Amino acid sequence: MSDQAILRIEAVEKRFGAVRAVDGVSLEVGSREFFALLGPSGSGKTTLLRIVSGLEAPDRGRVEIGGTDVTRLPPYLRRIGMVFQDFLLFPHRTVAENITFPLKMQGRTVAERREQLDWILGFVRMEGLENRFPHQLSGGQKQRVALARGLVSRPELLLLDEPLANLDRELRKEMEIEVRRYQEELGIPFVYVTHNQEEALTMSDRMAVMHQGALEQIGPKLEVYNAPATRFVASFVGAPNKLTGRAIEGDGARSRIDWDGITLIARSIGNARPGDAVEIYLKSERIALSASADGIHHDNRIEGTVRDIIFKGQFADYIVRTGNEAELVVSGPPSIAGVDRGSRVSLGWPVEAADVFATEDGEP
Amino acid sequence: MRGRRALHLDPRVRFATLVGPGALFIVLFLLIPLLSIVVFSFWRTESYELISDWNVNNYEAVLGEWIYLKFLLKSLAMAAAVSAICLVYAWPCAYLIAKHGGRYKLVLVLLTAAPFLTGILLRITAMQQILGPIGLVNMALMELGAQPIQVLMYTNIASAVGLIYLWIPFMLLAIYLSLFNFNFELLEVAKVNGARPWRAFFEVTWPLNWMGTAIGIVLVFIPTFAASVTPRFLGGPNGSMFVNRLEHQFGSAGTWALGSAMGVVMCVASLVVIFVLWRTVRLRRAGFTGAGA
Repeated sequence: MSDQAILRIEAVEKRFGAVRAVDGVSLEVGSREFFALLGPSGSGKTTLLRIVSGLEAPDRGRVEIGGTDVTRLPPYLRRIGMVFQDFLLFPHRTVAENITFPLKMQGRTVAERREQLDWILGFVRMEGLENRFPHQLSGGQKQRVALARGLVSRPELLLLDEPLANLDRELRKEMEIEVRRYQEELGIPFVYVTHNQEEALTMSDRMAVMHQGALEQIGPKLEVYNAPATRFVASFVGAPNKLTGRAIEGDGARSRIDWDGITLIARSIGNARPGDAVEIYLKSERIALSASADGIHHDNRIEGTVRDIIFKGQFADYIVRTGNEAELVVSGPPSIAGVDRGSRVSLGWPVEAADVFATEDGEP
Repeated sequence: MRGRRALHLDPRVRFATLVGPGALFIVLFLLIPLLSIVVFSFWRTESYELISDWNVNNYEAVLGEWIYLKFLLKSLAMAAAVSAICLVYAWPCAYLIAKHGGRYKLVLVLLTAAPFLTGILLRITAMQQILGPIGLVNMALMELGAQPIQVLMYTNIASAVGLIYLWIPFMLLAIYLSLFNFNFELLEVAKVNGARPWRAFFEVTWPLNWMGTAIGIVLVFIPTFAASVTPRFLGGPNGSMFVNRLEHQFGSAGTWALGSAMGVVMCVASLVVIFVLWRTVRLRRAGFTGAGA
């Protein structure tokens, strides 16, 4: 992929006063890729996107788009599209004028603009609305116009800065699929910034997780989800149970961990010595739950009592109080034979289901 | 109790009590005097007395005789020039304050209005001290052995400088308030979409702030058009404006009817300017969306 990377970021750094907003980030985005940049607010993901767009200049490092060094190029010469969180449509321009704005800036003729407009209106399913003004549109329609404006000139790269964050849940679900379709049909690389892991996981091919200005992990989304490389990624992606304990035996093929009186078996923690503090991240859907101990055939098996069942529709969260006075959240089908509030249940999970990390000097 | 409730709930009563006092004031002190001026303008004056002999001779004189028309055109030109210079000067100032003023925005804007802490006469006198023959500028030039700048001494230029100084805060304030509500992020959108900085300004910033700018133009144009003290103090022998001629009709000349006609002409001219500017403001195109966003 590296030989046909459209976007290449090399060791980019940006400070705001004493804050390192972006701290030595390098990454590449391929020519037909949907790339998500996931991170909590303040992690530097939006700053990184603004550096790519040219709205912000990096203190150090290089940005290449389509093989050209654009680090010092102003945004209006970069030939990219960008979609913003607050839509940011021009309130004094109609839908058609908003969408064709990039073409007008490129000096295309009225006929060309008209042709491209008709194409993109059909593409984003906004036919018949071209003479409306932005304030006459719903939130979803505004975002479609913003996306159309970003795509109309078929840029080399489309940057999206939390474009769905201002939409309600239903609409967001619909737009996630819609945005994914745009990317697949046009084959333009998308760089999609979000703090919402669901969006990143739903839409992207590859994703990067950012934390405090630095990249924590970068890879195919399933890899990031299934094999978090760092403690931060493990805690941020998925909705994991966090268990803190101490290593009993850390450096074998498997480790044994004391979790407040319960002994758990997990993957090797490498250089952890007995007594070292460790954290276990256990995704709720990876825990098996059964009304009887016979139903669990995993390396780890513990007993507990169901304190509550939170019905979520297609599935349910079972909140199980364990023998050591802790609580685990287990996702399962909406109803399990013999399991109700107050039921005694058995939980279990295989060794590889849990992500284990040694914590530095025992700090949580 | 029922009676009081009814009184509060009846929208007509509420409307009348809210609007009544203000409306009465306007009718008494603005509309009636204005109407009487209109009436007088169709009368004639003889030996300092108004005679209700309906005619249009006054208007024929104001609009037909060069001695009056000249001053009307001169005043309009002066007001247009002063507005234009205020516009060009105030825009960048307001823009810088709105965009880069940070938390000192309000202070900076209030500072531009600081001259209002004194009266207009004092400010004009201060301008005389700067521009006049023994004023700061020319004194300094002469001390340095240079020739004094003649145009600053009691000329129409001096009077324009004074008017710009007096009214520029209004222009600045109007533009600033417009920019205060302007979303500067839209400029970033324009740039990302290929607009160079000046193009972005004329595509986005200017049209979205034209309404505020037009208000600023009106706020400078109208008082400049009606200015009398400034040209009298700074304008010198040739500084007389339409308003000064008008004052003369009510003063020593005693031709009240002619003066009234001049007043009506001024009023109409001002309204025409406001109307023309209003026509350029298309609310939707100004990004104005009414109460519902």
